[in-house]
Amino acid sequence: MKNKRQRQQALEGYAFILPGVIYILVILGYPLVYNVILSLKNTNVKNFAKGTSAFIGMQNYSNLFKDPTFLLVFKNTFIFTIACLIVQFSLGFLFAILFSKDFRIAGPIRGLVLVGYMMPMSVTAMLGKNMFGVSEGVINDLLLKIGLVSSPVEWLVSSKTALGAVIAVNCWVGIPFNMLLLTAGLTNISQDILDSASVDGARPFQRFWYITLPLMKSSILAVLMLGFIYTFKAFDLMFIMTSGGPLNSTDVLGTYAYNLSFTKYEFSQGSAAALVLFVCLFVVGLFYLKLITREDD
Amino acid sequence: MNKKSNPFIEYLKTPTGKKNIVYSILAIIIAVVFLFPLYWLITMSLKSDSEIFGKTLTYYPHNFSLQPWIVNFSDRDFLQSLRNSTLIALLSMLLSMLFGIPTAYGIGRYKVKGGKVFLLIFLVTQMLPASLMLTPMYLTFSRLHLLGTYFAPALAISSASVPFIVVTLRPYFKAVPVSLDEAARIDGCGVIKSFFYIMIPAIRTGIVTVTVISFLNGWNDLAYSMTFNVKPEMRPLTANIYKFISKYGTKWNCIMAYGAILVLPVVLVFVFLQKQIVGGLTAGAVKE
Amino acid sequence: MKKKLVSLMVITTMMATMLAGCGSSAGTGETSEPEAVVNVEDEATAESAKPSDGIPEVTVWHYFEHEADALNKVADEYNASQDKIKVTCTFVSREELMNQYTIGAVSGELPDIGMVDSPDMSSYIALGVFEDITDELNAWGELDNFYEGPLSSCKDADGRIYGLPNNSNCLALLCNMDILSAHGYDAPPTTWDEFYEIAKACTDSADSVYGFAMSAISNEEGTFQLIPWIYSAGASVADLGSAEAVHAVDFLGKLVDEGIMSKEVINWGQGDALNAFAAGKAAMLESGTWQISQIDSGDVTLSTDNYKFALLPKDKKNASVIGGENFGVCSGTQYRDECIDFLKYMMTAQHNADWCEIAGKLAVRSDAATLKDFWTADERYAVFNDSMNYAVARGPHPEWPTISEALYTAEQSVLIGESDAATAMKAAAEKVAPILEANPIAQ
Repeated sequence: MKNKRQRQQALEGYAFILPGVIYILVILGYPLVYNVILSLKNTNVKNFAKGTSAFIGMQNYSNLFKDPTFLLVFKNTFIFTIACLIVQFSLGFLFAILFSKDFRIAGPIRGLVLVGYMMPMSVTAMLGKNMFGVSEGVINDLLLKIGLVSSPVEWLVSSKTALGAVIAVNCWVGIPFNMLLLTAGLTNISQDILDSASVDGARPFQRFWYITLPLMKSSILAVLMLGFIYTFKAFDLMFIMTSGGPLNSTDVLGTYAYNLSFTKYEFSQGSAAALVLFVCLFVVGLFYLKLITREDD
Repeated sequence: MNKKSNPFIEYLKTPTGKKNIVYSILAIIIAVVFLFPLYWLITMSLKSDSEIFGKTLTYYPHNFSLQPWIVNFSDRDFLQSLRNSTLIALLSMLLSMLFGIPTAYGIGRYKVKGGKVFLLIFLVTQMLPASLMLTPMYLTFSRLHLLGTYFAPALAISSASVPFIVVTLRPYFKAVPVSLDEAARIDGCGVIKSFFYIMIPAIRTGIVTVTVISFLNGWNDLAYSMTFNVKPEMRPLTANIYKFISKYGTKWNCIMAYGAILVLPVVLVFVFLQKQIVGGLTAGAVKE
Repeated sequence: MKKKLVSLMVITTMMATMLAGCGSSAGTGETSEPEAVVNVEDEATAESAKPSDGIPEVTVWHYFEHEADALNKVADEYNASQDKIKVTCTFVSREELMNQYTIGAVSGELPDIGMVDSPDMSSYIALGVFEDITDELNAWGELDNFYEGPLSSCKDADGRIYGLPNNSNCLALLCNMDILSAHGYDAPPTTWDEFYEIAKACTDSADSVYGFAMSAISNEEGTFQLIPWIYSAGASVADLGSAEAVHAVDFLGKLVDEGIMSKEVINWGQGDALNAFAAGKAAMLESGTWQISQIDSGDVTLSTDNYKFALLPKDKKNASVIGGENFGVCSGTQYRDECIDFLKYMMTAQHNADWCEIAGKLAVRSDAATLKDFWTADERYAVFNDSMNYAVARGPHPEWPTISEALYTAEQSVLIGESDAATAMKAAAEKVAPILEANPIAQ
């Protein structure tokens, strides 16, 4: 009798679970496998229609690592990701601490700041393109007014400053996101522990270092890893704001792979570049998974 | 000494707070810096042409003008793109909820073999970059003749929203007391009935979050719509930004009005549903 | 295509109703939405060939904007003149159109007749987008009247013909004479030295007025605007590493270095450069034939009526570049003969002349050029007509996009100060040399 009920339960469970799982396997799993196969062939727009593409092994990958542009793009992607992570995590953390304090406007302002995070990235990028304009941009105008610079900064028309401008715009989105997740971690620390520590004579910094930080370890790791995953795959921002230019100085793996597939129509070469992007994400993703699935065993 | 203090400062004080004025000032500075781009978006969109092309940059509209908004709303291409954005967002939202919610329920409430593997699948797929899926999906959709339809971007976008829904809602379903649906079963409710009448209402907050976020996922999408729908008349607002930038030349007031219209739903959602969404967003991402 | 879509629709709707059926009123909202989708789909595919009034419809894709009326007029006249096919012209933006052809090569969904920017024709021929219509056109017996440059862009390396050129344009110099005369110059420059002197004098950085504006964007437009400078210095695409080619790019780099030209030109298309000129922010502009009609139609409002066109300044020799559009019959059309018939109709001397007059373009047939006098009577068109004598074609080469990329990349790296002209042009030459060696540009 009990067995039958268990079987009934399992059947019900699968009935709910499987449609979604199958849907995702078809719509994501199939392309993922197809992508791997593509990256080992020489498919482009000419032979795709005729069906004459052939396997060429690792040729696409060795082409990539021989291409100086790809190496630059690879470097850009890491500089972009790491710079964004450092800025958005440290400022995000400071903001989270501030907004976890008990004062009246904390809630409303925290909410307002979050709008930037939810906005379409394409609008953010367009706005960044305008604000970082050389002669008509508001950022140069402000910098000149304050007197921080004596002549307009060349932002998006110089290969030395363009990536910096893109990083700044991304941090505008990333800081609220980090703040949001870290606030959740902070509010989970019981006020009692902190209070009893103060009674024991711990200074604010000591309390932060010895109590808050260790208690938030898993939150912090999760935020950093999620931040890496979302930043590393950036695409919309560069595509609209700079198109990867000038001279590939803001080209990242996402835009580079896109251009190979959809402006040069070298589908296999594009798949290979996208797969390199994926492998980097996957390594970090594994740590994230390990962390997040430790619960409920 | 003047005992009568500023009413605003009074407002900032909470019964328990002490240093709240310092905190409040810091918070206001942060708000100013972070909201400035949004302020800029709106300000620029309300300037007249002559002000935009003027020699000096103005920080608020000296010649207030609604013309840039009217230009957009009276443009047939714009209206078509607006319609496309809405349709793609709704379609992808429906697809995502259709597949996502039951799965979240199943994983959250049933002990089945492989439950953990299923969860893992969704955690992994949540991370997949659009750039990786674009090429294989494009070639597959071209064989299926789906390119240039609303289904191509909607299906692709739902591939990111379904995992989000599963990961976000699972803890919600888990937290619903077992007694609740057991009571329903005793009352003679079938599985499906209890799912719709007991479980879904019980996790209203979570449902609101995933509805909003999966709509916005579709509304904000650029990569999929741009790649799969090459015809401009099928593209949403995000993917047509380029077209409008070149169409308006350097008329930044019109471009900004265009952007402001795109941001509008996001702001509205935030004003009305901030609490639910903030709660929902953090639930799935960080272990508690 | 329809069938698959409908079945997908049915499945989704079924699933939606199945689930919603258990719920309360949620069903209506969910099911009505997909229906709206189908309707839009109907509109979107309406352009594909289907019989109306029993006459088969033939679709022409183009990216003409203000010229579209002129094209529709020819199509209407043709439709009235015969009852075998009905020609319908559909606007597709330039960028989308190029994507469509490439995708069409993948999916087989092409229009019956397609328009294409002349330097790109060769690569689309290589992709198999266009039909070989050499025999029909030879039998027509009018090919000799076409100018060699535009016609050559419709041919492949073996000289087979895949379409007909429709119009030509080229580049010249547009001067804001208010600014020039304010600095004591009453005539446009003719040499690079004069050009440099005037541009420098007219630059007023305090008032953000630049001496010169052009497009140096990282796409074909950037290459188009660069080519005249390279040829004027005495170089060609085949010897980009030469001292002459280096000199040309170096000259442009100097303009940016000295603040005579904005560095932002690397992000400007030709439209953006025209906007800067129109707003009075540039004294001189590298301008195209089509911009005359943009000015006349009020599409662009110039800050002054006192402007003048002149030949581009010359270094060793006068130079310009040919632009223009070709029309070809797309592969796989059911109405090949009818399409060719329409092309021939559209491109008779009289029709070509009429069309160019309305659209503000240069004719591609020598016998059309003599039919109208606006090319010589309107002094602005006269400049372009003259400039055409010095204009070089881009390609034709099936790998032109790669050559083009090498060119604009080199130019950009010099303009933003990333490398000096010699290094940049050497890199470009190294990229282009193997391509031209394997497959030289047919002249």
